[in-house]
Amino acid sequence: MIKTILTVDDSRTMRDMLRLSLVEAGFRVVQAEDGVHGLEVLRDETPDVIVTDINMPRMDGFGFIEAVRRDVTWRSTPVLVLTTEVDAEKKSRAKAAGATGWIVKPFDPVKLVDVIRRVAA
Amino acid sequence: MDPMAAIRETFFQECEEQLCELESGLMRMEGGETDQETVNAVFRAVHSIKGGAGAFGLEDLVRFAHVFETALDRVRSGKLEASANAMRLLLRASDALADQVRCARDGATPDEAQTTSLAAALKALTNGDATEQSDPAEDDGLGDLTFLPLPVPVEDETLQTGGWVIKFRPFADLYANANEAALLLREVSMLGPVRVTVDRSALPDFAELDPEGAYLAWTIALHAECDEQAIRSAFEFVEDDCELVISRASDQSDRLNLPQPDAEVAGGGTAETIPTPDPVTAANVTANSGMPSDADVLAMIRKAQQSVSSSDREQPGAIAGGAQNPSPPAVRSRQDAAPGTDGAPSKNDTGSAVGATIRVDLDRVDRLIDLVGELVINEAMLTQRVMEAGLARASGVAAALDELEHLTREIQDSVMAIRAQPVRSVFQRMPRLVREVAAMTGKQVRLLTDGEGTEVDKTVIERIADPLTHMIRNAIDHGLESTDARLAAGKPEEGVVRLTALHRSGRIVIEVADDGAGINRERVKAKAIEKGLVAPEAQLSDEETDNLIFLPGFSTASEVSDISGRGVGMDVVRRSVQSLGGRISIASRPGAGSTFTLSLPLTLAVLDGMVVSVAGHTLIVPLSAIIETLQPQAANVHTLGTDVRVVAMRGRYIPLVDVGMALGYSEVPLEADKSVALLVEGEGGIRAVLIVDAIQGQRQVVIKSLEANYRAVPGIAAATVMGDGRVALILDVDAIVSVTRTELIRGDALRAEPTLLQAS
Amino acid sequence: MPKRSNPPKGAAAVKLRLDPILDIKASAPLYALLSRHRGRDLVIDASAVERFGGQCLQVLLAARARWAADQRGFLVEGFSPGVIATLELMGIEPTAFDHRREMGA
Repeated sequence: MIKTILTVDDSRTMRDMLRLSLVEAGFRVVQAEDGVHGLEVLRDETPDVIVTDINMPRMDGFGFIEAVRRDVTWRSTPVLVLTTEVDAEKKSRAKAAGATGWIVKPFDPVKLVDVIRRVAA
Repeated sequence: MDPMAAIRETFFQECEEQLCELESGLMRMEGGETDQETVNAVFRAVHSIKGGAGAFGLEDLVRFAHVFETALDRVRSGKLEASANAMRLLLRASDALADQVRCARDGATPDEAQTTSLAAALKALTNGDATEQSDPAEDDGLGDLTFLPLPVPVEDETLQTGGWVIKFRPFADLYANANEAALLLREVSMLGPVRVTVDRSALPDFAELDPEGAYLAWTIALHAECDEQAIRSAFEFVEDDCELVISRASDQSDRLNLPQPDAEVAGGGTAETIPTPDPVTAANVTANSGMPSDADVLAMIRKAQQSVSSSDREQPGAIAGGAQNPSPPAVRSRQDAAPGTDGAPSKNDTGSAVGATIRVDLDRVDRLIDLVGELVINEAMLTQRVMEAGLARASGVAAALDELEHLTREIQDSVMAIRAQPVRSVFQRMPRLVREVAAMTGKQVRLLTDGEGTEVDKTVIERIADPLTHMIRNAIDHGLESTDARLAAGKPEEGVVRLTALHRSGRIVIEVADDGAGINRERVKAKAIEKGLVAPEAQLSDEETDNLIFLPGFSTASEVSDISGRGVGMDVVRRSVQSLGGRISIASRPGAGSTFTLSLPLTLAVLDGMVVSVAGHTLIVPLSAIIETLQPQAANVHTLGTDVRVVAMRGRYIPLVDVGMALGYSEVPLEADKSVALLVEGEGGIRAVLIVDAIQGQRQVVIKSLEANYRAVPGIAAATVMGDGRVALILDVDAIVSVTRTELIRGDALRAEPTLLQAS
Repeated sequence: MPKRSNPPKGAAAVKLRLDPILDIKASAPLYALLSRHRGRDLVIDASAVERFGGQCLQVLLAARARWAADQRGFLVEGFSPGVIATLELMGIEPTAFDHRREMGA
């Protein structure tokens, strides 16, 4: 079964990179441009893994993850944080919000796909 | 296109958008809007550029963006005050960042000295308020961009022992964040054969059990010649959510319990159900580091693809197969509608490449415009033929033709609209220019813009940047007074330059207005007389005086300044505007400022022309070049030398051009009083009076290049096809006027002896 | 895997069926389901299971211990080979859940 990945990122460059990497790796990719948009996409889509940026307009990654985790539908859906931030505070905030793991930008497609494989059942 | 190249292009496009966002955000902050949303948007812009730059290995850009971002982060967190000084520096940094982005895009070398000094200034700014922060100088911005810590080199004997014992006890939080013990165990098993035992000693009675608690613990005996880091990275995401003890099997004296590579493992599972590690993938995961080149990234994507399909084989159902491999579509979706401004982005599956806009090769649009031009001509021809055939009044033909004409015009307008773009892209370059010129002149300037959304043909946009740049420079350098002079005149210290775009009667009008002293007419006129541009006796209206500044070689500044004096005068501005079929004029009020008004056609593909007859030929004179039409009186026409004629108009002599003779259509000069005259203005504001047989009317014509269809003809700019199917030539007013000028110089210079001429 | 053809005797055993996905979302419902059938012999069909997580494992192991103490039959059968592999990675034999009343009694 083809797995679906939702990516949430306000940067078109990042969205294109993610799409290229994930589609080439055989995933189906749905994309959103910020947290609010991401939640809208989740009304129609059932992704197997969610990959989200932190710094975004309207609703940032922390807010998005919290909202996702509050919805019982997504309690077991892995959410990976895609960000250039590695400082402990951002990571622990993301984890406190319910993030499953993180990918450090600039991501390496092998690493990205590997991390998704690691957290996806 | 190569997918990486396409993404790279997207990246640089996006950078431009972010840079605009950055600049306008910083300017809002400078204006006192330091609300969180504005500051966040500014931070995000730099952050986003840095993120993309990292992906493309643009290290210089990453470094500078990082220093910039660090400073902005301190503003964002309230640790650094957005003072006037700080804002000035941040704005300069945004200019430098823009330079660096463009250098990175074009493969050019950025101004290193500028970058270094700005980076140092930013660091000083950041540290000035820093108390607990580490020295950013030690942080080159790349530190947080490595993929993973490199594997720690381990001693050889560890490798030889090849065995690990891992004790793993998850906490409830591990499960709550959608991590899964089963998957972590699977991950470890990828490193080598494992023997797993479960510890259920903490499991309470069923009645006491919290179904979402964590009670089980595992001990994993791993037979693998990996280092500890490889094991730790399997638990990377859960290290705070579990108890994890990793030790060498030899320490535990339980090496005998280790599963052997060849032995049946994990309690008798069969070979195909137990995942075997993929050494290539594992090595890749841990060994990759450093900045990848595009080729590297692509290679890694291919690698990832392979590793996915191979893990597919090993783990049935674990991960989707790489069945889809679509080539990138030629027309890519471009979702550049800013979220939050025009509503929520469409909720559809963005994966299906449906976007609000598409990007199309410009050539295709040009081809379409060309075809529509043909269509317009054909439609006009058809109408004329039908009229000639006397069918017009018959039944519904006339109505159908009207309908066709209407549709054709609509198609033409719609196609033109495809090329139309808001002038924003040009306007956005101006704030930086204003800052630079203000700094150079030591003046305080505020730029106000209006009408950035006004649309005009892309080719026009590309070509107004230069004239506009020059006009703004001029407005600050010459228009605005020095700060002292302003204060003395009771004006605010800060001068205002207002840049406005609007549509007016089928043209775009751009105004550059300053609130300076206005044109010093006495001085302008004196200068013009001194330079022999006007006769001393000439009675000039204020408007005419003001417009003298467009004459070639005219400069009111007594010393050539660094800003406006780059060998360019307003005459050059006028010339480039006219080459676009545009006109420029100035209005000035003493003490209150000057307004330059630029009027341009909305497109370069059609032209408003005056249709004239010359010796039996039909010609088109671009309307933009015509100042007025007149009926010359024989008494005002003077002949100089053998065949050069001039017309006396308002105290000046204007050369007269017989178009029929200039183009070789006739041998006999037209008598001035039996012709119609057009006062035209060509390159550099040179005026001439063209005489023709008659004026047929005005109409919009589709421009067909002569060079493309035939060859360049002197005196002719282009051609068009009239409704009756005949080709009409479009007069090259600049060429006609300049020919006149050389003739005049040859045949007794008009300018050399203005007084004498006046007397004759 | 060996087929167990003799169900627990006595009162008719309750037949239950496990959901395909036994992740954190399934854990509390599974616990509630089993709690409702305390004191009854259970035959649980695991053939639909695709994913087996740690917390559902805990629920089943604790239930199995409780049922054994209650001297009730507890039988989980029909695991797919994939799930058996997952269980083995968690140090669990597929028969670990089973308690047959006649054996325990």
